[in-house]
Amino acid sequence: MADKKSFLDPRTKLLLVFIEAVLVLATAGGERLVIFKDIFAVLPFLLLVTAKRYKTCFIGGAIFAAVIFFEYSVFPNSTGTVAAFLVVIVTVVTRFLPAYLMGSYVIQTTKVSEFKAAMEKLHIPDEITIPMCVMFRFFPTVKEENSSIRAAMKMRGIGLGGRKLSHIVEYRLVPMISCSAKIGEELSAAALTRGLGKSRKRTNICKIGFGIFDYLVFALAVVTLIYWILGVVR
Amino acid sequence: MIKFEHVDFTYEANPEEKSLSDITLEITNGECVLLTGESGCGKSTLLRFLNGLIPEFYNGERKGKIVVFETEISDTEIYDFVGKIGTVFQNPRSQFFNVDTTSELAFGCENLAMPENEILSRIDKTVSDFNIDTLMNRDIFELSGGEKQKIACASIDALRPDIILLDEPSANLDYDSAENLRQMIKLWKSEGKTILIAEHRINYVWELADHIIVMNRGSVVRNLGKSEIGRFTEDMCRKYGLRTLKRTSPVELAIEHKRNSYNNEFIELTNFSYSYKSKKNVLDIQKLRIPQNKITAIVGANGAGKTTFLECLCGIRKNKGIMYLDGKKYNSKQRLKEIFMVMQDTNHQLFTESVLDEVLISMPEENEDRAKEILKEVDLLEFADRHPMSLSGGQKQRAALACAIASERPILLLDEPTSGLDFKHMLEVSKILNRLKEQGRTVITVTHDSEFIENCCDEIIMLNEVKE
Repeated sequence: MADKKSFLDPRTKLLLVFIEAVLVLATAGGERLVIFKDIFAVLPFLLLVTAKRYKTCFIGGAIFAAVIFFEYSVFPNSTGTVAAFLVVIVTVVTRFLPAYLMGSYVIQTTKVSEFKAAMEKLHIPDEITIPMCVMFRFFPTVKEENSSIRAAMKMRGIGLGGRKLSHIVEYRLVPMISCSAKIGEELSAAALTRGLGKSRKRTNICKIGFGIFDYLVFALAVVTLIYWILGVVR
Repeated sequence: MIKFEHVDFTYEANPEEKSLSDITLEITNGECVLLTGESGCGKSTLLRFLNGLIPEFYNGERKGKIVVFETEISDTEIYDFVGKIGTVFQNPRSQFFNVDTTSELAFGCENLAMPENEILSRIDKTVSDFNIDTLMNRDIFELSGGEKQKIACASIDALRPDIILLDEPSANLDYDSAENLRQMIKLWKSEGKTILIAEHRINYVWELADHIIVMNRGSVVRNLGKSEIGRFTEDMCRKYGLRTLKRTSPVELAIEHKRNSYNNEFIELTNFSYSYKSKKNVLDIQKLRIPQNKITAIVGANGAGKTTFLECLCGIRKNKGIMYLDGKKYNSKQRLKEIFMVMQDTNHQLFTESVLDEVLISMPEENEDRAKEILKEVDLLEFADRHPMSLSGGQKQRAALACAIASERPILLLDEPTSGLDFKHMLEVSKILNRLKEQGRTVITVTHDSEFIENCCDEIIMLNEVKE
């Protein structure tokens, strides 16, 4: 959890996720945009460093570097199935990894209230924002529940290599769903008694706003867009 | 200020049983009222009328009149009392909407669209009153249960309500955290708030109460004023099925406890240490002997790593500790097959479609007759075909114990088995544990419940906080 104001505004982060998806994942613009694609592929690593998520950054970076190494050293010398297999790995990793890392950066560094403030400034209606906030709140809960259930299954000897293999998914899901549902119910009861949804207008004490880095990201995005359009027009 | 006149209530989900019958009560401004009685006596239902969860969240049929702030309650909506009535709930894990503490304190005020400066100054005051500077700007998922409950109280306090409801607030708290909670309630009392507390664990708030209401099966059986509270005795608690009035810290019990000199076999543990990624060692036990075939309580202050100890011992948390049992050596993986653990939240360990299945899959070899025998032992035979998730808290606990019996593993671990249980259910757990002991099993339980320790534990071991 980042203290005080985080490095980028939540709105900028949303824009970045969008760009990663369009440019790096879907490789829009093709060959012409390859430089920009590379810039945006590296960006998530830098952002993870600013958020002090060194471990995620390091592991991601190592995988990325290994794949690039393969692409340039092994790939040109291989043929047949090996080549086909390598193509799949290289494409999947180079396309998906930056987008995945950007997503994990955004989730790890955005507070629920920051996100809500950003959505309010973008005039997104509450009907969309509140369920998304609840999801933010729910991910860690589901993670906690999941690890407790896994521990319990291990203790009772149900699991891979244990007995009742055919039921393993059911045994995992039943307590997961009922625990999450129960927590969800208690959560909404508590939120209702504290007036969630009472008034149309809600205060938000969370400060968000654009800083120099936000403008840099915007500038980069705009340059990319102009360069792309120029290519299409010509 | 609050008036109940001949109130009857039946939940839609449970139409056969009247949850409240003919309740008439009056609570004046600034009173601190304790509502107590066995599980299912209707004490939480009373609170749900006041915070609006009935009928907003729980449906049912009500007769009679309830008046709050001179307004009859059927004319109001849940939002009318937001900010005037605040509720602290039982489960510290599920009453937060935000992921960080500061936003959580602001949450209620934000919903009421208060001006920003007002919210910030309220948060400042609450933080200094409750002494929780160190908890600000933290990830809620990293806090302990006691700390979470502090934040829950603080977030209610920031709304400055006139009436504060607490629905079994200490059910998941250890001794020290319950003491902290008592301090917070005391503060509210000195500010002249009207406070209603529904609780099993009555000892920590007993003296604070101006007025104590004992309920049974939906009716008020005793309504004690200040003078009667002082004369209430332990025997009377027994009569009404209440938990003890004595406030004894489990750590004190451990210090006074004379180690019995049994001619006994021991389980020997060596080199149990564990540390989490972010913190230093939470657990550091070089050598520990636990008597075999006895019930041993593990006590210790918050953060002493009691649950971590159980998880390491059981083997679900991988570690280097070695256990010696009957001359044989067990590492953490080998221990998994010898030890059964009943977790604090039993919801996590009930997987199947029926209580009977649950017992069957725990057995080394499935045997339906034996499974039914075990269910009879724990008084659950009539629920054999029910879905485990449809049981009450106490019943789930007993279902987990039935699995432990069925597993035939020699060692049983329990994590806070009596938290949130009333007197009757606590005795039932004690009885089952004693029977397990007679069958030759070793029981090790982490607990903060002094009454439970005095009732059934043979040995008390204190885990100390690891200091660097």
